[in-house]
Amino acid sequence: MAVMRMGYVHARVTDLAEAKQHYANSLGLYETLAEDGKVYYKGWDEWDHHSVVLEEGGVGVVKFGFKVEYESDIDLIEKRAQDYGLSVERMSKGENPEVSDGIRFISPSEHVFEVYHAQTVIGTEVGTHNPEAFPRHLVGVGVPALDHALILAEDVRTMENMFRTVFDFFPTERVQTDLDDNDAHFIATWMTCNNQIHQIAVLEGPQSKLHHFAFKLGDWTEVGRAADLMSMDDIPIDIGPTRHGITRGQTIYFFDPSGNRNEVFAGGYPAYRDRPVNKWTPDQIAKGIFYHARELNERFTTVHT
Amino acid sequence: MPTVTIHPSGEVIYLEPDETVLSGLYKAGYAYTIGCRRGGCAICKVDCHAGSFHYNRPVADTVITAEEAVDGTCLSCRAVPENDITIELRGENVRLVNPFLRQMNEKARLRAEATAAAERTRRAGTTTKE
Repeated sequence: MAVMRMGYVHARVTDLAEAKQHYANSLGLYETLAEDGKVYYKGWDEWDHHSVVLEEGGVGVVKFGFKVEYESDIDLIEKRAQDYGLSVERMSKGENPEVSDGIRFISPSEHVFEVYHAQTVIGTEVGTHNPEAFPRHLVGVGVPALDHALILAEDVRTMENMFRTVFDFFPTERVQTDLDDNDAHFIATWMTCNNQIHQIAVLEGPQSKLHHFAFKLGDWTEVGRAADLMSMDDIPIDIGPTRHGITRGQTIYFFDPSGNRNEVFAGGYPAYRDRPVNKWTPDQIAKGIFYHARELNERFTTVHT
Repeated sequence: MPTVTIHPSGEVIYLEPDETVLSGLYKAGYAYTIGCRRGGCAICKVDCHAGSFHYNRPVADTVITAEEAVDGTCLSCRAVPENDITIELRGENVRLVNPFLRQMNEKARLRAEATAAAERTRRAGTTTKE
């Protein structure tokens, strides 16, 4: 296996103090480092040093980090990226605090992707030695981990090809104008490299933009409790709690204090490379996105950072 | 007591001090196209035709460009009026979704106007006696 998972999201926020209130006290991430106007977080069930980096100034996404299993995988992916026609640069250890050396490239969608093979291991908050089921004093929602991200791109098919070719990802679901892949225009694609239903999704839209990044939750009950906490903390909810027809995940979309969209996401069926791709036609996209309302709100396609 | 007048319908909405345009309109029972409510998505921009406002938080230059900062563009979720302002929505009008809040806002505005008028009268009276 080469790529194991999306390891980190690095986002911009207009006010770091307000962002810290949101990500640490409302969502319950653990701060692991703060330096140079950036703050680093991990969820309680993550063992690597950080999965979220926030940087003051602006909004939107700076870059995504994908973690590979072996150091040698870096060379493999560098070769594949170069063969695909991307210009790849090497990054050295410590360019990102507590992150190994690796590579960096800009995707056809003009997003920055980094690939690394190691981060300083901090350990989960329950440890590995006869661990308890969860930490006793979680803060707020208490999200265990980063889950996935949805980015926007002018050309979704090209992005799917890139993830397939360079990262060896495979699609699990798609919105496409024709059930025949060759004739179809791809409107959106959901992709992964393991049993997680998606790690990255791409929706047709302006280049370099972030639609949302999501945190994992366990089930409906946790999603419902998260929504209650969002009301208590006056966090603007975009939609939910509801279910996505696509991925079958249970969800709330909401906004951080700078207007970046976040999601909490639970469930989703297991993905397999040999499972046929679920295909949604544009007339059913509303049901695919919001399974209960079956109507897109005006924000889904227009609001991004 | 800043007010927001909505062009062209002429609705006048009373805002509490330091309240944003978006917050004031929603508290007065109105709705319109908004997104993140946190200054990041730029969907709630309106045009400011008269009066002045400032932003109560830093706004990313990807959200309000240098040109928009001076052309009357008003990011309504972060804009706090400094005096009475007149705005116009882009491609839609406000929708009244809670008439009870509208009534309360109207009463608050009339009360604030009466208080201000009484204060002016009192000052004028004092001046005369002196």
